[in-house]
Amino acid sequence: MIRRWQILLAVLGACLPLLLAYANTDDWSPAERRAIQRFGPWPPQQARDASNRASGRDDAIALGERLFFDRRLSGAGNMACDWCHLPQRDWTDGFKRGVGRDVVDRNTTSLWNVGGRRWLGWDGAHDSLWSQSLRPIIDPREMTATPRQIAERIRTDADLACRYEKVFGAAPAFMDDEQILVATGKALAAFQETLVSGRAPFDEFRDALQRGDAAGQAAYPDAAKRGLKIFVGKGNCAVCHFGPTFSNGEFADIGVPFFIEPGRVDPGRHGGIAALRASPYTRLGPHSDERQGAGTTRTRHVEAQHRNFGEFMVPPLRNIARTAPYMHAGSHATLHDVVRHYSELDEDRLHADGERVLVPLRLSPRESDDLVAFLESLSDTPKPFVRRTSDRDPACR
Amino acid sequence: MSQSRRRWLALCVAFLLASSPAVACDPPSLGDTQLVADSARYRIAWRVRPDPILVAEPFALEMSVCAKPGVSPAEAVQVDATMPEHRHGMNYRPSVIDGPDGRFLAQGMLFHMPGKWRLIFDVRAGGITERLTHDLTVE
Repeated sequence: MIRRWQILLAVLGACLPLLLAYANTDDWSPAERRAIQRFGPWPPQQARDASNRASGRDDAIALGERLFFDRRLSGAGNMACDWCHLPQRDWTDGFKRGVGRDVVDRNTTSLWNVGGRRWLGWDGAHDSLWSQSLRPIIDPREMTATPRQIAERIRTDADLACRYEKVFGAAPAFMDDEQILVATGKALAAFQETLVSGRAPFDEFRDALQRGDAAGQAAYPDAAKRGLKIFVGKGNCAVCHFGPTFSNGEFADIGVPFFIEPGRVDPGRHGGIAALRASPYTRLGPHSDERQGAGTTRTRHVEAQHRNFGEFMVPPLRNIARTAPYMHAGSHATLHDVVRHYSELDEDRLHADGERVLVPLRLSPRESDDLVAFLESLSDTPKPFVRRTSDRDPACR
Repeated sequence: MSQSRRRWLALCVAFLLASSPAVACDPPSLGDTQLVADSARYRIAWRVRPDPILVAEPFALEMSVCAKPGVSPAEAVQVDATMPEHRHGMNYRPSVIDGPDGRFLAQGMLFHMPGKWRLIFDVRAGGITERLTHDLTVE
């Protein structure tokens, strides 16, 4: 008889954590509620980029959209921005590493919500979207164009020349090659700022929780709720994946190998800061339309530190389920692989002077599935992109 | 001026200095939102702009420093911040501007993570640096 009781108690003890986990699906502590509220509201208020005088202007957005799909922006005339940032692939390409003229070292990031980012690129080598937009055009591994080629193609296209004059107040014939290149980047940025993802199931849950709407909360899957608890709780994910885009906009070393090939490493943020300082296309440089304001604070004060070596951008997570593969070099094919990375984290790969809250999560298979279910709930309903700009601006005929 | 008059003048100056806010170490007020960090030699009243601190958003720190009796006034202040539990600091190096009356302004601060942060004030005077700290939690 005693033995039976012991067995029953042992079974109950083993099942208790599981029972509690399921019983608490709709029970959120004040700290969890505060953490969840910080992931919204969505969509955010759009702010203009003060360093880009074309930001937010309808005529610049139309010009930028036209340029985004214009293959003449590449040296050989065979590649446009949509070569790597395909609208039908959530503005990325699905490859581990981007493929321009050559295979590059890093994964192509999605352009969803790119307008609000403070640092651009996996290493944050660019402090504005217009500056980042120039890089692939003139990169010899990607679109391989020269400023002269771009300028000549703009000057000799009557529609483009007319549009540039309307947006930037000067005819390309009277702009030098570099001015036209920078203007191209600014128009491209104005277009990309409009790529804002829609509301996701998580947003409906967050807002229902804020309103105290039980029915609205009940519509959110239990697995996603359990995953959310891990995300804001023992997973410590929200320490870096913070705010409405689920990124603090900074950089982290999470133990992903940074060897590009034997004998060659990707320095990550360390190299990004060096590239930023060497670039003429920054918020502090002569092409910026705001060289003193609040938007320049990060560029002015960013500090290169030893721990930056091997740090990469904390990626935003909206629509993440549709933008595989993951990590800076596309090393993880699925979200399950990403969760496994954190669950089995190899601490020996982390910097000695790096983040100390990163520890192996040791998630159970059920917990891993729950975390993936939560990440999947950050996706909006896909809508096909419809181009809004014709090849001829009626006002320019 | 006679020697006794000089003595009286010196005494008056000493009295005025002893009764001034700087020696009493009551830093000029920065408003209702100010906080105070204290050490054996200095007291710093400080407040943030904008208030409150938002994670991943830059902010500035206004400081008013006073030296305690017998301590040289602050010549310079450096500001930094760390996350003791994470064992790392900020990704940015703030710059400090000297103002009048022991006031200083640190620009370029940014807390890139929620959690416990430790503000570090290094006050320098006469070749000596004194460290004051203040812990705060940012959500």
